[in-house]
Amino acid sequence: MLTDFLQLTVAGLSQGSVYALLAVGLIAVYTVRHVINIAQGEFAMLAGLGSAWLVAAGMPLFLGVLVAILTVTLVAIAMERLIIARVKKLTPLTSIILTLGVSTLLQAIMLLAWGPEAKGVPLFPGTNILIGGVSIRSQEFWMIGALVVVGGGIVLFYEKSRWGKALRACAEQPVAARIVGISPVAASVLAFAIAGFVGAVAGVVASPIYLSLWSGGVLLGLKGFVAAVLGGFVSFRAAIVGALLLGMIEAYVAGYVASGLRDGAAFLILILVLVVRPQGLVLKPTAVRV
Amino acid sequence: MTHATTPVPAGMRSPGARFWMNNKSMLIGCGVLVVLMIVVPFTASSSVMNIVVFAMIFALPAIGLNLLMGLAGQVSLGQAAFFAIGAYTHAILLTKLDLPGPVAATIGVLAAMLVALLVGLPLMRLRGHYLALATLGLGFIVMIGVREWDVTGRTTGIYGISRPTVFGIPIDNNGFFLWFVTPFVVIGLILALNLTRSRAGRALSAVNDSELAAESLGVNTYALRLKVFVLSAGFAGLGGVFYAYQVAIVSPSTSEFHLSVSILLMVVIGGLGSVWGAVAGAFLVQFLGEGMRDIIPAIFPGATGEVQLLGYGIVLILVILLLPGGLFQAATTLWQKLPFGGKRPPVDAHAHAAEDDTTIPQLPAVSTPVAAGEPILVISGLTKRYGGVVAVNDVSLSVPAGSILGLIGPNGAGKTTCFNMISGALTPTSGTVTFLGQVISGRKPHVAAAHGLTRTFQNLQVFTSTDVVGNVYMGRYRKGSAGVLRGMLGLQSSEQSAHRAASYEILASMRLTDAADDSASDLSFGKQRIMEVCRALAAEPALLLLDEPMAGLSGAERDVMAELLRRLRAAGLTIVLVEHDVAQVMSLADHVAVLDDGVLIAHGDPESVRNDPAVVVAYLGTDLDEAEAELIELEEHA
Repeated sequence: MLTDFLQLTVAGLSQGSVYALLAVGLIAVYTVRHVINIAQGEFAMLAGLGSAWLVAAGMPLFLGVLVAILTVTLVAIAMERLIIARVKKLTPLTSIILTLGVSTLLQAIMLLAWGPEAKGVPLFPGTNILIGGVSIRSQEFWMIGALVVVGGGIVLFYEKSRWGKALRACAEQPVAARIVGISPVAASVLAFAIAGFVGAVAGVVASPIYLSLWSGGVLLGLKGFVAAVLGGFVSFRAAIVGALLLGMIEAYVAGYVASGLRDGAAFLILILVLVVRPQGLVLKPTAVRV
Repeated sequence: MTHATTPVPAGMRSPGARFWMNNKSMLIGCGVLVVLMIVVPFTASSSVMNIVVFAMIFALPAIGLNLLMGLAGQVSLGQAAFFAIGAYTHAILLTKLDLPGPVAATIGVLAAMLVALLVGLPLMRLRGHYLALATLGLGFIVMIGVREWDVTGRTTGIYGISRPTVFGIPIDNNGFFLWFVTPFVVIGLILALNLTRSRAGRALSAVNDSELAAESLGVNTYALRLKVFVLSAGFAGLGGVFYAYQVAIVSPSTSEFHLSVSILLMVVIGGLGSVWGAVAGAFLVQFLGEGMRDIIPAIFPGATGEVQLLGYGIVLILVILLLPGGLFQAATTLWQKLPFGGKRPPVDAHAHAAEDDTTIPQLPAVSTPVAAGEPILVISGLTKRYGGVVAVNDVSLSVPAGSILGLIGPNGAGKTTCFNMISGALTPTSGTVTFLGQVISGRKPHVAAAHGLTRTFQNLQVFTSTDVVGNVYMGRYRKGSAGVLRGMLGLQSSEQSAHRAASYEILASMRLTDAADDSASDLSFGKQRIMEVCRALAAEPALLLLDEPMAGLSGAERDVMAELLRRLRAAGLTIVLVEHDVAQVMSLADHVAVLDDGVLIAHGDPESVRNDPAVVVAYLGTDLDEAEAELIELEEHA
């Protein structure tokens, strides 16, 4: 019993790490541009399918992964420069339609380039371990590790570095930030670059186990959104905690109830949170926090 | 949207002629659509027929989504969920319970509306992006639900739906089916068009300009948005019903996200807020999708599946970037460039309201629910805290009906905060506001408005998408009664023309008639302020709250305003005004209340307040002698 529970918890935590990275990307863009990027999940799928293709074509695993991550980061920057920045007045309505358009376009490109079948990157190197009957696959360490290193790095970046503080300033006081010389253009580009980067990292570490599919990004992105909502869309830390919780709840639903209902859990949580506590898990809802 | 702007007295035209005038473009449009749909089956190839039939089916959810996006300003990414609920319910009732078609269809539509009601009840309170993502989640839940439930046939779905029979004729080919679906699309179109220009539709469009102002005029934003959401789900459900008939199989693909995207694309291409655009968009997207499915495999050999998404994505982006108003915007621009289309000749729209400056204009109606002198507004212990800061501290006062209370105080004294708590825009930390015996504090502004309390705003809240008379007309909202249903059925034109005539009269009373047909955003600051006062008066209030009504007005305009306020008081209206022009307040008000640092430091008739040493110190400076000198100067100036 306990072994099953722990086994599900490990699976939930590793899956939750992927959601957490996507939530970090969503919040990074939202705090600067007030855009909820529906294409966030496509970044992950694009990186997963891209690196699977590169590795299959003979590129070494880590080189292929690196190239895919950098390419997707550039795609995110291109999305900001070519599309988002061109709209003068971004309302919630137009930003949703616009990022939905990008999401649909990226899906179609993936479908045309790599076909309708799901594909996976080869497993990353490492050995599976067994602790007290609970087996932890090496890839799950890579997924959790990606969150610790990349997610933790982003949080540190926002809290400690000059650029990170500038991004926060842009989010809190855009006019004042401009007066003291922080370029809103650079801030916006940086936010999208972060979103592309974390999305791509999430996509490549999850791909060996969960596979990448041209149309899988929307569902994955929405999971990230649920986590971001749990973080009130301002707090990285709360969103990361929310994402890990979400991953675990999904694993328990799949394990104890029915595997087909797994995806339903996220949206029931979403609707419940929006109804009961729209400001998320953060205690102080008004200020922008990271 | 076209509004009949000719306020010809109601009795001058026959009802038939008036109906034609009010609905000309709608009737012509529907006539053209019906004729086209009658002719198409005789001329079109079978593949085109197929596209046309699906375009008409998907026009229904598109019209619904268009109402939600255009009127409620909210986007649903789960329109396919309601479509699927309608389709599944209909199919299950037909195949498993053998219910008659009309009954099954009605239940199918109602089921979609019921789910929308349950989801909308909590979610329509949220702003911004949340509804979009929650409906996206709902779409996934519905898809998971139908895939996992035995009743919905899991992944195989429901099949074996028999074709409907109308008057003994089986609808067994595309031509008959087109004639079967067209009447429903046309009725849906008419209902939707009526709604956009009804009392409810105009209120929602005002909400999109300024939610605060609309609510202060009595609009219950939440309830209206919820109704539109439920209605839009009903349209989607009806589309699903026809889909089930046409395809004869309902599978989980009807609830797919990509279907929601294509319905959204129909609305975006057609133009937000344009019902006709949604229908045109439905045809365009069907043809685009079919074309892409032919072209793309030719360009990319081996491409299979949902390749039309490439076109959908590109078009979505391009429309928002290049033509945010969609086809509707393109068509309007084109029409205005045509020599015969352009601007209509100016009609002498308000001849009956013309006045020269010497005549005394008619006074707007006010309501006097209590006798003069009786307390109409009672404030007790009103307090507002922001964290550790106390903006308003334990303010209690009572306002007798038929009087003017001036609320003055230095900047930051808490005057506007007080106002916002009285009108319902802010919830007090403690204390109550009682208006006409009802506690209104802590409720939404539309509650206070419904009881007869309207206000103006220090930071103007103009409905920019309509003209001046349209703004004032919105003030009549409280005096109307037509709801969503009556609006959809078009049963309110006499009510509307009466309100329009009243709006012109109110504009005349503030000498704003000349600007009546100007766009509200083109007015000068002072004129916008006057317009806001007219708008508040249009509600025939019992209590009028004016937040700095004189700011930005010329001397002559101030005199007109002051004269109007005096006459309104004489007619029994109670007025509370916040004003920086102390001299104006002293000469106008029966009572003056002074706030300083959130505390009520004086309250009484102007004479005693003027001589109150605490007021002099607080208001004009710390040095009493200096303050008195300034006060004398001020009075001489007045």
